[in-house]
Amino acid sequence: MNNSSNRTKTSIFALQAIMVVSCLTILGRVFFLQIVQYDIYDELGEKNSIRQEYVEAARGLIYDRNGVLLVDNQPIYSITITPVNFEDKNIPLLANLLEEPDSLITALVDDAKKYSRFRTSKLITDIDFKAFSLIQENLWQLPGIGHQIDSKRNYPTEMTGSHIFGYLREADETDYRDTESIRLGDKIGKSGLELIYQDNLKGELGINYLKVNALGQSLGKFTEQKTTKPPVQGDNLITTIDADLQIFAEKLMKGKSGGVVAINPHNGEILALVSSPEYEVQKLAGRIDKEYWQYINSDSTRPLYNRAISSRQPPGSTFKPLMGIIGMHLGIVTPNTEIYNSGYYMRGRPYKDLADPGLYNLESAIAHSSNTYFLTVMDKIATTGNLNNWSRLAKDFGLGVPNKIDLPSANRGILPDSAYLDQRYGKRKWGLGDVLNFGIGQGLVSASPLQIAQMTSTIVNGGYKIEPHLIRATKKADGTIEQREKKVEKISWVKDEYLITVKNGMRRNVLEGSGRFYAEVPGIEVSGKTGTAQNPFGFSHGWYTSFAPSQNPELVVTVFLENAGWASISAVPIASLILEKYLKGDVEREWLVNYVLNFVPKEDNSQASATINE
Amino acid sequence: MNNIRDLNWSIIGAWLLLATIGLVAIFSATQGPVSEFLPNYIQNNFAKQLVWVALSIVLVLGFQFFTPRSYMQFSYIFYGIGIILMISTLLFGTEINGAKSWLRLGPFNLQTSELMKIATILATAQYLTSRRNITAENIRYAFIAVLMILVPTAFVIFQNDFGTAIVFLALIPVMLFWSGLPYGVSIFIVSPAAILYLTVFDWKLGALATILITVLIFIVQKRVWLTVTSLITGIVTVVGVNLALTDILQPHQVGRITAFTNPAFDPTGAGWNVIQAKTAIGSGGLLGKGFMEGTQTQLKFLPEQWTDFISGVIGEEFGFVGLGLLIVTFLFLFLKLLKLAGNHKHPFAQLVTVSVTAVFFIHFLINLASATALLPVIGIPLPFVSYGGSAFITNSLMLAICLNMDFHKRDFSIYR
Repeated sequence: MNNSSNRTKTSIFALQAIMVVSCLTILGRVFFLQIVQYDIYDELGEKNSIRQEYVEAARGLIYDRNGVLLVDNQPIYSITITPVNFEDKNIPLLANLLEEPDSLITALVDDAKKYSRFRTSKLITDIDFKAFSLIQENLWQLPGIGHQIDSKRNYPTEMTGSHIFGYLREADETDYRDTESIRLGDKIGKSGLELIYQDNLKGELGINYLKVNALGQSLGKFTEQKTTKPPVQGDNLITTIDADLQIFAEKLMKGKSGGVVAINPHNGEILALVSSPEYEVQKLAGRIDKEYWQYINSDSTRPLYNRAISSRQPPGSTFKPLMGIIGMHLGIVTPNTEIYNSGYYMRGRPYKDLADPGLYNLESAIAHSSNTYFLTVMDKIATTGNLNNWSRLAKDFGLGVPNKIDLPSANRGILPDSAYLDQRYGKRKWGLGDVLNFGIGQGLVSASPLQIAQMTSTIVNGGYKIEPHLIRATKKADGTIEQREKKVEKISWVKDEYLITVKNGMRRNVLEGSGRFYAEVPGIEVSGKTGTAQNPFGFSHGWYTSFAPSQNPELVVTVFLENAGWASISAVPIASLILEKYLKGDVEREWLVNYVLNFVPKEDNSQASATINE
Repeated sequence: MNNIRDLNWSIIGAWLLLATIGLVAIFSATQGPVSEFLPNYIQNNFAKQLVWVALSIVLVLGFQFFTPRSYMQFSYIFYGIGIILMISTLLFGTEINGAKSWLRLGPFNLQTSELMKIATILATAQYLTSRRNITAENIRYAFIAVLMILVPTAFVIFQNDFGTAIVFLALIPVMLFWSGLPYGVSIFIVSPAAILYLTVFDWKLGALATILITVLIFIVQKRVWLTVTSLITGIVTVVGVNLALTDILQPHQVGRITAFTNPAFDPTGAGWNVIQAKTAIGSGGLLGKGFMEGTQTQLKFLPEQWTDFISGVIGEEFGFVGLGLLIVTFLFLFLKLLKLAGNHKHPFAQLVTVSVTAVFFIHFLINLASATALLPVIGIPLPFVSYGGSAFITNSLMLAICLNMDFHKRDFSIYR
């Protein structure tokens, strides 16, 4: 009995010991978790239940000069990924819900991992609402996957404007390596105004803290401790574009290849700027159609190429008015100097002159585009050692120098001087024969339609340098407006009498020249000058630069058409219609519109080899 | 009739305190903001538990009018009825959460394995104490007792309720040890579990434990055959577990077993519950986030937070203070019950009280060790705290029996 009682005591003691030790172990473990490791689990708990969500800032809107909305934003549905939480085994499920091949999703997931394993980025954008809803319903079995509603660019007017607006693309590796503010999948401007004004348009991302439950369902905003940072909308752009005029110009240029610039000669505001063929900027909004993207990048017509500002072509006879101004300034000719045209100009070889034989003064030489007159002027410039002066003076009109327009990839053109020629042909390896045809805008002299429009503007505005531009003002989210007026600067050497003479010549070109059937707008005096750029590969390129009303010009329109043959029947009607539309508000000459829309290039190809003067 | 003051009121106090903690936690886990994610039948859990607690108070107090003789005599009959109920459950039972443990009785779902715990304890205790102490000579008594425990264990395993099976198995060493099984043999019986547990972490730990246990058994018992057997069993356990983990089991099975050692390895699968429970408890800190303020609880990151993971709710919302109070209250209850056992002269009363304490203790240990990632997640409720009518009433009944034997201990010894 005593033995048994002892054993009972020992046993109870053993059990008590086990229980005390166990309870202390559990208590110690709880102490370790709750006190020692509190910081770890507190953070874990917070992360668990609070999700950080970026709120896209609305990209700035783009308006025309009259307040017409040209570009806004439209909601699209996107799927996001946080790679560290995502399991690759879910790729087939995800691909299935999105109705995309596994291989595509794998590639997209890999891209996201390359960007960051911990930061959330967009996996795929612009999916249809049905797929979006399916993903939302299945979020619980797709850890690391999120959803987001953001926006794509929308173009509410008929205006295409692809070469003005430009397109957005998702930032690639090089873009987001550069700056902290760009995340993979963010859309950034890649061309046009969207590129140049990216920093204005993009706005600032907002941050939201959302309370979520274990299933990832959002339970609304979490506002207790962390403040939510609201997004700041991007700046709105107020352009100089006149939407009506732009739409009309685009319509006229449809099916043609070339560029149109309509500009206010007094302040450099561009009212219309068309490069044809256009691409559909709408198709590059949202998720990019890969086939279309490849097409516009590889097609032989090069739709992405902005012919209005990037092409570099000999200006042909449109250069002659400037030749006259320089000739007068250098004292080579006066308004009254008469030069005889015998049908060709002889200097080492004959240079053909298509103007009727006879005596020409500067005005009539411009009106009838006599080559002899301007070849003579160029001859004298070159032989009196004034080639570099000529080049420098012409550059004051915006040729051969970089253009400050607020669009990317504007071409500076070429206005040769002796240094350029030395470099091009070798020192002293060039002669008068290489220089002479500069006088009629041929040879190495070359410019973009924008530059010809700028040159014309300086002629008609009284000799002021202008800066062509597309943005009048930017409007910040807080309502403040920043004007972006460009200064104009008088060219000191240009005298009014020079300008009066060449403007008279340009007026007479419209009345008497080859373009007279189409150039004049009923009831409004129009001035202009046609030109042809030689093209060894086919039909010549046609030029026409014009302004109206002749006495008090409000608008300069320059048209350049590739492979269109005679400018007088191709480029002239387009410019004339644009002037009519702008000055009268509407176009009465429906027949001319139909003519332009149905225009087919005509030219006797044998003449292309000869020197052409219209 | 004895004086009502002789009732052990401190045990009753601890019991009611645990029930109250449970009710508070169940309220938060089912009626708090989380309720919008919960189906109605779970939202009703608080009200139901309140009824069970009230009913149990009546039962426990009313039970004191019986004398211990009544249930001593009928213990084998109870055991028989229990077995019949278990078979019925297997045949006609309702499945909840993958375990077919419930028998539908009118509006109630009865978890028969809970009742079987009482029946098994009473019957096995009756059998063991009506014989002499177990020695090497009459070891067959031990085998019969083990069989009496293994039969219900088998049924529980068939019901797919491994947590309860472990509780039954844990009764074997406790009851045999109390009935005079030599210390060395007792240690030997428990040793494979300890070695297995350590081997899951690292086989070297398992091997070390094997050596230590073998040495301990030799010191206590000084029997060569037992020492050798223990050593061989230990080695077989270590090698077997290691082989199972590396070669035999499928990776996902291994994952479930080892998840508690490194939950981050599989955070959305087996590790999910562990991570969420640890996070709930850990983020509670010293004082907790406050009643119905726990984000893990209220945003439903915690699984089964009104039953198996109720300690997560307490830990998160009431912090170390809350969980500490819970653990200390349990320890108080265990020690008080063991003290009752020590006061008894009658071996039946001793054995039943010790067994009941062991059952509570095993539940407590496994539940909290699971929630704090000291053990793999084994679904088992926390006595008196977790939601569950059958469990609460049976646990209260077990407590009532202990109180009753204590209450009647002076008359009790004469029954022998």
